Amino acid sequence: MTDTTLPLRNNEGFLENAGDWNRDVAVAIAGEDGIKLDEKHWEIIEFLRDFYSEHEMSPPSNRLFVKAVKESLGEDKGNSIYLMQLFPGTPAKTACRIAGLPRPTNCL
Amino acid sequence: MTTLIVIDQAPYGSWSGREALDMAFSLAAFDQPVSLLFCDAGVNWLRQGQQATELGQKTVEKNLAAAPMFGVEAILADGPACQRYGLDDSNLLAGVTRVEAVEPIIARHTDVLFAG
Amino acid sequence: MTDTPNTHTLHLLNKAPEHSRFARCLQSLQPGDSLVLMENAVLALANSGLSLPEPCYALQADVRARGLSTLNGRHTLIDYQELVQLTADNPRIISW
Repeated sequence: MTDTTLPLRNNEGFLENAGDWNRDVAVAIAGEDGIKLDEKHWEIIEFLRDFYSEHEMSPPSNRLFVKAVKESLGEDKGNSIYLMQLFPGTPAKTACRIAGLPRPTNCL
Repeated sequence: MTTLIVIDQAPYGSWSGREALDMAFSLAAFDQPVSLLFCDAGVNWLRQGQQATELGQKTVEKNLAAAPMFGVEAILADGPACQRYGLDDSNLLAGVTRVEAVEPIIARHTDVLFAG
Repeated sequence: MTDTPNTHTLHLLNKAPEHSRFARCLQSLQPGDSLVLMENAVLALANSGLSLPEPCYALQADVRARGLSTLNGRHTLIDYQELVQLTADNPRIISW
């Protein structure tokens, strides 16, 4: 999948229309950050998408992202080092972008 | 030293409550103890079955359901206001504690912040 | 309110006198409490129908912005630094 086939996105790379998301889109967005998605990534992506459908929001900050993962998947995964390794940069922002969710409101 | 955030305004009509919720989540993110108290028309935040998509807004009921996961200590509701607005066990969100009066709750907190 | 702890409270009030929370704030004042009028609440200084408690502070920037600095009253004008000092001096704060 090349850039030209990716759906419309904002200036930070977040999808304009949530409905445009699918697994291929996720793979392509991750590829831009040099991330090759494996089952560890997918577990977090699915967690985030479930979180969004339940709460109608992305975790609003990185700390709350870590906290929410910890509540749901335990301390092994709900810690910044683990999430930073999977989603470099600001994990909440990177992961939400790949998961096709809105930008976390309080992430710089 | 729990901060009490008081939401006394109805949802959807203004952004004040949403901003307060954001503040509560931010305090929780930094492990600062925080509780929410809904009173007056603010108790309408706590009604089951809200659907705000036609307003182009997110449903506060669903946003609020994330509060315990984020570490918000308690969600309290003004009992008499609940009664006025027809909120009882059958239609109140899970995890909400109704209190008989708000004044004693406010009095026992050292940091109290009204939303908006 | 029998279980009110005996601590002095600083009330930060930013609502105009017609706002329901303005009355609610004044009603809740206890002896020893202090009141700071800020933002639209400083309009109370121009409202002759209101009796304000003492001590009553008013934020100078908001008073000046609304052209109310020539008003006489028993209120004390404070700047932002003095406001910070008040928040540090009082054990309990309610932001109305």
